Amino acid sequence: MAAKSKTQEETRILLGNAAIGRGIVEAGCHVMTSYPGTPSSEILPAVVAFKKELGLDTYIEWSANEKVAFDNALAASMSGKRAAVAMKQVGLNVASDSLMSSAYTGVIGGLVIISCDDPGPHSSQTEQDSRFFGMFAKVPVYDPSTPQEAKEMVKEAFELSETFQIPVILRPSIRISHARQNVKLTPVEKLDRPADFEKDPARWAATPRYRLVLHRRLNETLKQIQERFEKDTRWNYLVEDGDGSSLGIITCSMSFAALMDILEESDLKGIVDVLKIGTPYPLPQRRVADFTREHEKVLVIEETDTVIESQIIDKSNVLGRLTGHVPQEGELLPSVIHNILADFLRENGAAHLEKISDTGLADRIDELELPIRRPTLCPGCPERAAFYAIRKALPKAIYTSDIGCYTLGINLQAVDTVLDMGAGITLASGFYQAYHQDGNDIPIVATMGDSTFYHSGTSSLLSAVYNNARFILVILDNEITAMTGMQPTPGLGVTADGGEGKKVPIEGLIRGCGVTWIRTIDSYEVEELIELLKEAREYTLDPDGGIAVIVARHPCLIQYPEARREISIRVEVTEDCNGCRYCIDYFECPALRLIEEEERIEIDRKYCIDCGVCINVCPRGAIVEAVD
Amino acid sequence: MKNVQIILAGIGGQGILFSSRLIAEWGLRSGLDIMGSETHGMSQRGGSVTAHLKLGSFRSPVIREETADILYSFEENETYKSLKFIKSGGICFANLENENRFDRKVLDLLEQKEITFRTFDASGTALKIGSVMSANIILIGYSVGTGLVPFEYDDLKTVLESITKKAHLETNLKAFEIGYKAGRG
Ligand code: SF4
Ligand code: SF4
Repeated sequence: MAAKSKTQEETRILLGNAAIGRGIVEAGCHVMTSYPGTPSSEILPAVVAFKKELGLDTYIEWSANEKVAFDNALAASMSGKRAAVAMKQVGLNVASDSLMSSAYTGVIGGLVIISCDDPGPHSSQTEQDSRFFGMFAKVPVYDPSTPQEAKEMVKEAFELSETFQIPVILRPSIRISHARQNVKLTPVEKLDRPADFEKDPARWAATPRYRLVLHRRLNETLKQIQERFEKDTRWNYLVEDGDGSSLGIITCSMSFAALMDILEESDLKGIVDVLKIGTPYPLPQRRVADFTREHEKVLVIEETDTVIESQIIDKSNVLGRLTGHVPQEGELLPSVIHNILADFLRENGAAHLEKISDTGLADRIDELELPIRRPTLCPGCPERAAFYAIRKALPKAIYTSDIGCYTLGINLQAVDTVLDMGAGITLASGFYQAYHQDGNDIPIVATMGDSTFYHSGTSSLLSAVYNNARFILVILDNEITAMTGMQPTPGLGVTADGGEGKKVPIEGLIRGCGVTWIRTIDSYEVEELIELLKEAREYTLDPDGGIAVIVARHPCLIQYPEARREISIRVEVTEDCNGCRYCIDYFECPALRLIEEEERIEIDRKYCIDCGVCINVCPRGAIVEAVD
Repeated sequence: MKNVQIILAGIGGQGILFSSRLIAEWGLRSGLDIMGSETHGMSQRGGSVTAHLKLGSFRSPVIREETADILYSFEENETYKSLKFIKSGGICFANLENENRFDRKVLDLLEQKEITFRTFDASGTALKIGSVMSANIILIGYSVGTGLVPFEYDDLKTVLESITKKAHLETNLKAFEIGYKAGRG
């Protein structure tokens, strides 16, 4: 085995998001804020880890939502410090109000916005392309193709931001955020920057008239940045392995990485010239125009949308999504790029590349009709118990829900809508008014997790209360932000780096929104919860009633395994089970297995955590507490 | 050493990411560049988990169909789903209770592509040594024992020692050893 290199440079295998975190730290960033969301969630924890390892005094916070995170970072930058804010792509929708405005007012200390895209989508409600937000807001965008590049880009982004006094976006796509690479670490910059906000109301509190001036300045700044990107060869470069091919490909980020590997592995180097773009906005137009002019046909392969392609001025010989040569949606996996390339080469008589098509193997495996392992709530998950009770108590209700693990309540047929963060409440209120207008007061049950409620529940709830809406809101409080990897919520009173924060109890917030009917219950108490839901329904129909809120609380068992041992009710299945599947279809605990040959259920001890909740579920009473 | 592309597939809780880290760390110490990625389902437990690992000079963190040299698969259905990634002449190590249950036609097709398909009941073995969580290490140990993979016993063991938490060290080393012996046959 080779000895570790003796140079000063340390190399570590880092997740893309950790490399970004490292870049933030190396740039001497003072303030880091974020709201968790796949694929961005690991960035902030990486900054916490490096802070601890290096004994830094970086201020780090999980904010209540992305706009809050953005504004906190911006204020640090206005005070002259370096600040970073990280979120997933749809988080930038939430923060977009601030982004748009801050592009005009600009920044003082470097402000880097990391917005992670999710082509696929793997874990998001849209495939939106954050680079378009850069164009929309008129702020520059960096687009990394490897974790190492992401780290270096973060550092340059800070410098660019400070030089031009403008916020800068780094847009890693999910494959970059979740890639692992051996990354070279470099020393951390120490920047002594005591907070020093210089008052300038014409700028920081600009009135519309002055906004016009700021807009003009912004446009000038962008031109200068574009000039700089024209000259840049670090992120934007040509890969010409042959002696001048007539075919060219313009590409970026993960697509660039995949394309290069395919060309290498298929011995096609030199068949096409490649222009790699790392700064998609503002696009280095002259470089791109030179490239398209020098090649007969140019293919654009980029994720997730058409940011580079749309900006190209003369598209007469340009192929891409707009011409139907690249799929309009879905992730550009290496296999997809392989086939796009094969078509491009064939259509232009360049070379033969065998397409990846269904081989006998793939066909045969399709024939096997393997069970699709659809995502499901964990065994013993308290949300499952709550959903089961909701469906049981009010089977005819409209179930509006929200974003989190509990979106999986869809499997239990207890989730009818998922729009975006906070819409569990707003849609419930909207449905109520739409039906009520016709004199029809249907049952509506909104479900929302604790973290989502802190994120965007309060304004929705107080507006619904104020406008006399009537529905039941069940807050599924598992005392953590579970789906994105267990980040603390404001209800816990623990800060991002493990310090002590002030607890903000959820019941107080609900009361503050004007709700008077509030009950708290352990989600595992299924029978009581069913009764409570019926009571809540009565309250929504009562002339003196209103919105009823139930806080169904039970800790997430993954985060708090000790919450599991406290209870421990070992269950078994009796002879009475006839394999009717009711428990599978309406409760779906992964530990319940149907043995088809025997027409009965079996408890899979590998998964069962002895929560005992399923005892409440079987209509035949066939699941019972084991007698030892 | 030449480039190697490895896929590890299974379900949440089977230690896929740890296994991937083990091999990546080995690669790093052998002077290879590392590029890889991992995907997992939405929920915390029980969903598919796949890790792609490329050792050598690569740029993309994702492995293309029919290019992987080695597939480690820790669960039967995930094995079927991941076979398409193996190149002709590649190897699959599958954690499987009973090879006879595996689809005959698929086995024939693998043979046509000259893919070596080796199975071992790593979960059963893990259960026997009282550590269900160690099936991953057992299967990797097994592959080292067969001599069909580029990692040497001593090197991988050293890495395993250095990345395992103290509390699990004894079990992991035991699991590695048992797998290795079984692989040597
Ligand atoms: S345990 Fe009860 S609900 Fe489940 S299949 Fe058997 S009889 Fe039906
Ligand atoms: S006791 Fe029942 S509900 Fe709880 S984990 Fe076991 S099988 Fe699932």
